Amino acid sequence: MNNELRAQRKKEISSWILSLPALIWLLVFFLIPYFIILLYSFFESGIYDVEPILTLSAYKEVLTKPYISSFYLSIKLAFYTTVICLIAGYPVAYVIARASEKYKNLLIILIVIPFWTNFVIRIFSWRIFLAPDGLLNTMLIGLNFINDPIRLLRTDFAVLLVMVYVYLPYMILPLYSAIEKIDFSLLDAAMDLGANPIKAFLKITLPLSKQGILAGTILVFIPALGAYIIPQLVGNQNSLLIGQVITYKIKNIPRNWPVASALSFFLVLLIGVFLLVFYYLNKRVKQKGIIIDEE
Amino acid sequence: MGEIKISNVTKKFDDFVAVDNVSLTIENGALFSFLGPSGCGKTTILRMIAGFETPTEGRIFIENQDITDLPPYKRPVNTIFQNYSLFPHMTIFENIAFGLKLKKTPKHIITEKVNDILKIVQMEIHKNKYPNQISGGQKQRIAIARALINEPKVLLLDEPVAALDLKLRQHMIIELMNIHDLFGITFIYVTHDQSEAMSLSDKIAIINQGKIVQVGNPDDIYERPNSVFSAYFIGDTNLISGKVVGIEDDFIEVETNLLKNNEKIVLDSATNCDVEIGEDITLSLRPEKIAVSRRAPKSQSDFNILKGIIEDILYLGTHTQYIIKVGSQNFKVFSQHKRVYFDDTALDWEEEVFLFWHDTDTYVIKETCTDTKNINE
Repeated sequence: MNNELRAQRKKEISSWILSLPALIWLLVFFLIPYFIILLYSFFESGIYDVEPILTLSAYKEVLTKPYISSFYLSIKLAFYTTVICLIAGYPVAYVIARASEKYKNLLIILIVIPFWTNFVIRIFSWRIFLAPDGLLNTMLIGLNFINDPIRLLRTDFAVLLVMVYVYLPYMILPLYSAIEKIDFSLLDAAMDLGANPIKAFLKITLPLSKQGILAGTILVFIPALGAYIIPQLVGNQNSLLIGQVITYKIKNIPRNWPVASALSFFLVLLIGVFLLVFYYLNKRVKQKGIIIDEE
Repeated sequence: MGEIKISNVTKKFDDFVAVDNVSLTIENGALFSFLGPSGCGKTTILRMIAGFETPTEGRIFIENQDITDLPPYKRPVNTIFQNYSLFPHMTIFENIAFGLKLKKTPKHIITEKVNDILKIVQMEIHKNKYPNQISGGQKQRIAIARALINEPKVLLLDEPVAALDLKLRQHMIIELMNIHDLFGITFIYVTHDQSEAMSLSDKIAIINQGKIVQVGNPDDIYERPNSVFSAYFIGDTNLISGKVVGIEDDFIEVETNLLKNNEKIVLDSATNCDVEIGEDITLSLRPEKIAVSRRAPKSQSDFNILKGIIEDILYLGTHTQYIIKVGSQNFKVFSQHKRVYFDDTALDWEEEVFLFWHDTDTYVIKETCTDTKNINE
């Protein structure tokens, strides 16, 4: 018993040492900058910088309606993006997971290829595609579906469309890796026991891919919450998302570092809450024994 | 109840013929095995009965109801899969209750039935565990319980003990036989292991390259193989080719190049089917039917005797296997370790010995003359 404890202690110490570089990295590039942001949020605003006087005025300003509605819009966008990515990504991931070895890798490469092109360039290409005299409008007019170009660019629809386009691979890949691990003879077993294909999917495939769904949701939802470039380039500029508001507060003069910092703090807090929820759900999934090769 | 009729069933995967015009009737309540090497089509036959594959041609009936086009979830059969396929995200209880829940059985009846069947397979204390927390043998019992709780007319078993180690395998086979007796439904068992098939089946169908080679009781097939394939697949055998030279009232004489000086191999005509003078035939002689000795037996009337040289001796615990060269042919001989020896000292390499066997123990392999009644029954 004592020996066992000692061995466990040893194991713990060595795992700490091994994770030291990562911890230092986190400290220098995450915790310290984050602490500076937190500090700034309690300062008085200057024109270019901050006055080191402690105050809560930034928080008072942040808790007013325009900022809260920006938060709301960001959460809404992140939510819709995640849901659409999930619904659109699941069948794709399923097909890839069930494809023969030969096609599997090819299909995965096809999903990953867009990453080879710069993110901003890809968004700009959407601008060209969606523009009033762009490819889509020209095509629709050419096919006589519409007479005049419709407004596609700078709409909420465009933002959602491009968000889904950009984040879809982040949903597909974890879903694929979860679905691929499922023993498909389980579906035979379910049907053998009287489940039709829909029931078999709902009772077997779906619960067994929960981990992938959670991972994909985290990978899409969290970055989508702080979306900046996409709404900036294709979005309607009347309603700003929280990422845009933070940028404006720092970019436009007079600068307001404390408000930007307080907003960032709230954003991180929000993400933290969501992560905790996901963590809890994930733990429950694991406890239910879904991870087959867990010790 | 539970009679299965397979009628002219063929299954092709692209150009590959997995099952080739198979017709067969499996009696109600039988413990029937499909036995054959891997890739012979036996699993495909099972999957067609289960509904996971559709025959390219032919029909399948259960109790005279044509089930060929029914999806698996509408068939009165359940399957034990090779790797058990227990649902990893459900407890043992939930796994077993799965089929009943789908049928919208009231909760208290489900609980009652699951508990009853857990008692039968002796797994009550594990009902709240997950499949990854129990052993292979336990998983198999759960798989059996999960299938049988649905009261199928036929239980299909796809190499159910292949994943277990030898001792557990033998134990589970006995358990399976007990469960078969208890439930009284038809079991269809697929395996590539001849000893498994022999020990548990009422009847075996030997399958090779998508075709039924022979159907019969285990001892029928072993003692009276109808083809070289059957003879070799079930157990070991020695084949002797020869020509029929004499047919008497109670014996047949066969000439073979293993014997010189006009000596002949004698067959008891009662154990064999019709042959004609001058016909080339193949004889099967099981290795355990042959006795080996330094001296020739005294009575020679009912015996066939060959002379050979010991090439190899393999000590196997329960018996010793001798490889003995007779002319240009190697004979396999199994000799039990009885306390009574023909010879005072153990036989050694390179020794010259006599091989002898009773004239009823040589069997003519000829497809047309095996008990055709076994196939059509």
